Amino acid sequence: MLTQKPLVRWSLFGLACLLVIVIDMPIISLILNSFRSTAEILSSTSLIPAAPSLVNYAYVAQRTSFFQYLLNSLIMAGGGMAVSILAATLAGYVLSRFRTRVFRAYGTGLFLVQMFPVLLALIPLFILFRKLNLINTYYSVIIMYTVAQLPFATSMFRAFFDGIPHDLEEAARIDGANRLQSFALVVLPLAGPAIAAVAIFAFLFSYNEYLIAAVFLRRESLFTIPVGIQQFMQQYSTDWGSLMAAAVMAMLPTFVLFLFIQKYMMYGAIGSGVKG
Amino acid sequence: MSTRAIPSHSQELRPPRRSLPFDAFPFILLLPSALLIALINIYPFATGFYYSLQSGTLLQSGDFVGLANFIQLFRMADFRHALWFSAIFAIFSVFGSWAIGLLLALFLNMDIPARGFFRVALLLPWIIPSIVSVVSWRWLISDQSGLVNVMLQAIGLKPIYFLSTGSLATFSVIVVKIWRSFPFMMLSILAALQTLNRESYEAAAIDGAGRWQSFRYITMPHLLPISFVLWILMTIWSVNDFETPWLLTQGGPSNATENLSVLAYRYTFNLNDVGIGAAISFFTMLLLMIFAITLLSRQRET
Amino acid sequence: MSTHDEKTDDGSAKPERTVSRRDFLRVTGGVAGAALLAACGATPASPSGAASGQTAASASTDAGTTGGATAAAVQATQAPAAAAGGAAGDVQFWDMVWGPPAYIDTAKKVVQQFTQANPNIKASYQSNPWSSWPQVFTTAVGSGTAPDVSTGGGYQAIQFYPQGAILEIDDVVASFKPDDFLPNQIEGMKFNGHYVALPWGIDIRIPFYRKDLFDKAGVKPPTNWDEMRAGLKKLTSGNQYGIAFPGNDNAAWQGMWGLVINNGGGLFTADRKLDVMNDRTVEALTFISNLVKDGVVHPGSAGFSGDDMTKAFSSGSVGMVIFVPGTEERVTPNVKQNVELLAPMTGPHGDKGTLLFSNNLMVYKQTKNPDATKSFLKWWSANSLPIWTEGKCGNLPARTSIAKDPYFQNNIYLKRILDEWVPIGKLTGTRSSGTFPALADIDMGGMMKTLATDILQGQDVKASLQKLETTLKGLKTLQS
Repeated sequence: MLTQKPLVRWSLFGLACLLVIVIDMPIISLILNSFRSTAEILSSTSLIPAAPSLVNYAYVAQRTSFFQYLLNSLIMAGGGMAVSILAATLAGYVLSRFRTRVFRAYGTGLFLVQMFPVLLALIPLFILFRKLNLINTYYSVIIMYTVAQLPFATSMFRAFFDGIPHDLEEAARIDGANRLQSFALVVLPLAGPAIAAVAIFAFLFSYNEYLIAAVFLRRESLFTIPVGIQQFMQQYSTDWGSLMAAAVMAMLPTFVLFLFIQKYMMYGAIGSGVKG
Repeated sequence: MSTRAIPSHSQELRPPRRSLPFDAFPFILLLPSALLIALINIYPFATGFYYSLQSGTLLQSGDFVGLANFIQLFRMADFRHALWFSAIFAIFSVFGSWAIGLLLALFLNMDIPARGFFRVALLLPWIIPSIVSVVSWRWLISDQSGLVNVMLQAIGLKPIYFLSTGSLATFSVIVVKIWRSFPFMMLSILAALQTLNRESYEAAAIDGAGRWQSFRYITMPHLLPISFVLWILMTIWSVNDFETPWLLTQGGPSNATENLSVLAYRYTFNLNDVGIGAAISFFTMLLLMIFAITLLSRQRET
Repeated sequence: MSTHDEKTDDGSAKPERTVSRRDFLRVTGGVAGAALLAACGATPASPSGAASGQTAASASTDAGTTGGATAAAVQATQAPAAAAGGAAGDVQFWDMVWGPPAYIDTAKKVVQQFTQANPNIKASYQSNPWSSWPQVFTTAVGSGTAPDVSTGGGYQAIQFYPQGAILEIDDVVASFKPDDFLPNQIEGMKFNGHYVALPWGIDIRIPFYRKDLFDKAGVKPPTNWDEMRAGLKKLTSGNQYGIAFPGNDNAAWQGMWGLVINNGGGLFTADRKLDVMNDRTVEALTFISNLVKDGVVHPGSAGFSGDDMTKAFSSGSVGMVIFVPGTEERVTPNVKQNVELLAPMTGPHGDKGTLLFSNNLMVYKQTKNPDATKSFLKWWSANSLPIWTEGKCGNLPARTSIAKDPYFQNNIYLKRILDEWVPIGKLTGTRSSGTFPALADIDMGGMMKTLATDILQGQDVKASLQKLETTLKGLKTLQS
């Protein structure tokens, strides 16, 4: 927080490197293993590959539908993210500005909803989506991902809007804006950091989710990455090389994305947002 | 709904449609999320509750048995054990990940070169799919050629098989859970730290406060509200966590690491006994609700 | 249809249920869905004729099956559709991941070959990951979207059959000659006089040993249990152990059960009565427990996955494993030459045997085209050789004609398993015969894995078995 001497800064840098290596060791070993054949992965005791090769990557890229899975994952995670942001900003605004008993009860109900285990809901939901003709479509999964994110996203937006003074809207109203305009044109543009934070949470959840995707998408052309990489797992053995290469390839987009947006994540949105 | 309960400032803002006693505006804004939640939750919730009062399987209803499934739970040794393990698992995971998240957040809040990179690098455990992270952990700890044991042997110790006994496996499942969870803690605490203004520290420094004192009297009180919420959320997520124990140990060895979620799954899908499975799930939910509501109301008091 | 699982306490059959849970869910789900749709004023995304037609068709099929109709009745209603020149229609085939990634490609290709050979039938292929199969199949069956036909483990058909989801295929079985299948395969699919599935793949537990390690320790391949115990002791020194079991995987109890069957033991009497504590079973598990006490079982065993065990075997930390066909392919290539198959040992009372699974190929009652599906079933059973030769499927074929292929006959490991081991293999239901619903619970319920990890952690054999007996007695499928 305070500016320090170069020596202190660089010893902190060294400590940070050490921490990253120790804490990320499972991931580092995963990345190193992705350059090995499955046979070598199964026999080697050293961390560094003896003869690193890109064979696994070539296999995943050429022989599997990895990029189709990636596209599906991006569509479904992106869709879930967009819809949950849209619905949660509106709901968060209501819960922040209209503090009647009804909306307070809604807020509490929302908090409790996330405790319901999805495993029990699979069959009823499947029947519901079949009635709506949404089985084997992106929509079913996007809806599920949205709803899974709504409690958390709504409470984050509510807390964020709580921090925005009411005077702004009142000024806009005096200038002749209606209530929707004062929300959409005055309050919403300030919500950038909160949107960024919610976007990250929603995207990560959906991008890595396995159970819902595995049950609701019963066609290979719709598989997401977490479902797709399960195809490397047989009943009693696993094609570790391909699985690890695919995992690294799946990790890259999120890692790069995070490098670009990490600044926005720190803007206090999350800090204030998780207030219940 | 009467408009009386709307705070005064918005009452002034209300459009001059006083002939309408009902203010539809907030309800319209709430409609998309309320509809989605109703669509996905209400019907499955009702069905799930219906399951829990019946014998039979997911595919074929049995007789209505009332609360017999719930009563049966307490006669089941595996349920009692799962309840106990869930508690242990949640307590250690919550405080372990919170403590590590706090330490790393304080660290990353310092002036370090390439701080942005380190922040993202330490978030990595959170951004990879659970199956991948658990598999990576298995490679490190499950046998004597795993990296952890290679290092233990290098310094002359005997290899430790971290998944081979009940207590070691319990320890391992908690460690992996902490590892998967601390980034969220870290990120949230870090964000809260950013809202602390520098002036309070400077004022404290002028008053002669040391580092420890400013941490104790400025930082911690500032972090307490968010920590409180993080504990509640993390408790819910730990108790409901299916993937960490299932992927790492499948609840073994000898059911030592079977939590309520894994148990509910086993009864519902592997033993075709959805009545017990649903009863476990509803009991868990009830427990969590009581826990969350108690804690939240206590937080509001303080 | 499914009266067998609906006995009342006095043993008499209850009248057929007219409303199944599926119907209840469907009706209420429909109401909820419609109400919500009406509420938001939207219409379904694709209310096309095809889609609504499909719903109607499946609803009528469901009405037929859940109302207690027999397979024949369902067939009768479908007869007009199949009138023009043999069976016609769509066949949806769900397959598990039975081999390396090449397996899925090959299986798709074989399905295409079927469509070419049967232009009236359009077969489609869907691969399913193992990790989610209970949810995927249960959800599909429960919501009326089951496939027409699928592969699955050895007890998948009997798991879903009592719940009215599996079509009996007595007519298909009747069209085969007895020697079309390897011995004991087809009879393992029989329940209450009906065939619930076709066997297609054999999974079996076989002891493998490292010849180099045995030679170095001066141990000959054991032919009986005493030699095995003495040999494993000699193999154990420092970081090297005699044998390992993968306690985190079902293969642990299955390997142990290979020895139980080798001793003439089992869980049941010949008339399917629970018989957990019989002398032979206790004796076999005590033998394994003694190995643990001798210190010859790898101490990481209780937490090992199948791959951990393979790794230990490959790296030479253990000299022997009881695992699946194809274990020799999973070790490092330069170790493979040292991996040998043990010849069947003679148990203390002169028995031979091991545990075997007949993996299922089953038809779902929800099928709209039972004739086309049965055509596919027969064709797949006879023509799926490429899933082995090209797809490297991990199972052995249940069909005699496929097992005769040079791919198996020229592979010394596979040939020896087929010749020496498969004939003495027995199913989980031993000492009873055929199949019955409790076996699905035992296969998946986790209680056998608990038994295996209890023993691997050195707990008392009788106490562990009593725990198992208590669990099994609590199973609804064993209460009648």
